[in-house]
Amino acid sequence: MSTLGRILIVEDDPNDVELTLTALEEYNLANEVVVTRDGEEALDYLHCRGNFKARSNENPAVLLLDLKLPKRDGLEVLRQIKSDEKLKLIPVVVLTSSHEEKDVVASYKLGVNAYVVKPVDFHEFVNAVKELGIFWAVINESPPGSMKKN
Amino acid sequence: MPKPLSAIQSYGLAVLAVSVALAAALLLERYNFRGVEFTVFLLAIVVTVWYGRTQAAVFAVVFAVLIFNYFFTEPLHTLYVTRAEIPYYFIFVFFASLLAWFTAIRRRVERELVQSRNELEWEVAERTQQASLLDLTHDSICVRDMDDVITFWNRGAEELYGHRAGELVGKVTTHRLLQTVFPAPLEDINAELLSTGRWDGVLEHTKADGSGVVVSSRWSLRRDEYGNAVAILETNNDITERNRREHEIRTLNEELGKRAAELEAINKELEAFAYSVSHDLRAPLRHMVGFTELLKKNAASLLDDKSQRYVTIILDSAKRMGNLIDDLLAFSRIGRAETHMATLSLQHLVQEAVTEVRQDAGGRNVVWRVGKFPDWCGDRSMLRLALVNLVSNAVKFTRTRPQAEIEIACVDQRQDQVVLFIRDNGVGFDMKYVDKLFGVFQRLHPREAFEGTGIGLATVQRIVHRHGGTVWAEGEVDNGATFYFSLSKPQEPDL
Repeated sequence: MSTLGRILIVEDDPNDVELTLTALEEYNLANEVVVTRDGEEALDYLHCRGNFKARSNENPAVLLLDLKLPKRDGLEVLRQIKSDEKLKLIPVVVLTSSHEEKDVVASYKLGVNAYVVKPVDFHEFVNAVKELGIFWAVINESPPGSMKKN
Repeated sequence: MPKPLSAIQSYGLAVLAVSVALAAALLLERYNFRGVEFTVFLLAIVVTVWYGRTQAAVFAVVFAVLIFNYFFTEPLHTLYVTRAEIPYYFIFVFFASLLAWFTAIRRRVERELVQSRNELEWEVAERTQQASLLDLTHDSICVRDMDDVITFWNRGAEELYGHRAGELVGKVTTHRLLQTVFPAPLEDINAELLSTGRWDGVLEHTKADGSGVVVSSRWSLRRDEYGNAVAILETNNDITERNRREHEIRTLNEELGKRAAELEAINKELEAFAYSVSHDLRAPLRHMVGFTELLKKNAASLLDDKSQRYVTIILDSAKRMGNLIDDLLAFSRIGRAETHMATLSLQHLVQEAVTEVRQDAGGRNVVWRVGKFPDWCGDRSMLRLALVNLVSNAVKFTRTRPQAEIEIACVDQRQDQVVLFIRDNGVGFDMKYVDKLFGVFQRLHPREAFEGTGIGLATVQRIVHRHGGTVWAEGEVDNGATFYFSLSKPQEPDL
């Protein structure tokens, strides 16, 4: 593996965080993962403010975004990112429980890069997270300004 | 008045009258009445003038003179006229002419009299008829003078208000009698009436029995030949009932609007509920499955066979719940989603459903019999789902058969309705439970024998209902089942 992009997970449910991290760990993709617990925190991270003032000013290679979040929900975060000149290039993948059509439509209208429904079946779930991690953090050529680790 | 005689009849009358006069004169002569012949002939001329035409009268005079000369003046039986007789004849003709003239005048006067009498009679009849026509109408008509005093009150008004014309005409003022409630100040109404000659609007009146009545009122102003306003004709129609109905309809509409709003709110709530279910119910389920899998993996060596089985049961149950949630959400979505009606080929749709189910059926030995289907109007994805559900049911419940036979065809195709059926030779069902077939979560077979959540047929029913059709089934235990559904043709498909 030549480079590994940083994955930013925005997920409020600790169980989902744990399952996602477990799946990523299984494929050695977990080293460069940052977890934020709500939309506000995710935006703080992206804008290097609040708790993340000190971090180096590089964008993550991919953002795995849950839709149902406390404070600012996923669609709001997505809207902010895609309307911000500095952030709009970050690939955003919605990773959510629901396949409600209106969420899918709204996400794509806001310019989401992918929409993945978390499978109930664990093996499928692990598989989905793995594929996402490998594709976006390894295979995909990230836009300039993304954090990569050799 | 007798019809005037024709020319020939008039001349005939002249000849006849003069002949009768001649006969009478001869008869009088026979009995020695002399000197009256002259008068008898004058009488004949008068009769001719009275009943015949003027020319006939002239003829009668000439004819009478000739006859008189021939029969009654010397020399007898010749037309010879002596000189001495000439003035005599002149007097006769003059006298006859004078008589004829007077008679003609009298006759003309009499005729004119008769004519004007007839005209008068006709007019009276006409007037009477018109007045009775005004009584015939259901409208209440009254005429009042400019002081509001009633001058005419038809039967319709009597019936509507319960006041008799005899009690009112010339005595009572309208507005006080009927306690009129005007929609605008009376001065404004009168001003409009005087300027335009008419007014119409809705009035409230009080009847003789004290009850109220709402009327649609039309007023017309009558002016005399000098342009002075003299009377107002008022036509009133009872619209109390109409008003009441309109009011009722309005109330009902408002009620309907309220209900629709309530329903919309409920629908919104339901949508929010389904949305929340779809998000929040699946997450814990995923965690149950995920962590149980992890437990199974990490603690495999520590768990005995029994515990391993428990873990498997937890996983199976969680997965089944996942399927239930998915099916329920799909089911509720069909109830909420808008239908997109379009003309589609049922033939293609059936073929698609069969192809899809066939792939899942794997290497099963199934004999398919697919009939001919018309093009129809419906929501493509919904109908497709209904067909897939029914066909996959047929495949599922023929699983125990060495050779499955599935027939899909169209039985009743009318202008406004089409009936499709799916028949299989599978395990069938007991008609006792036919009512339960289409309920949500209703299953007639043990889960171990045939998998499924029990929502498939409920979904089919909901789809068919949304297409204005019905669904029903026939079956026998161990002897196959047939599912029918009808689709009605929407009046105006929004293509």
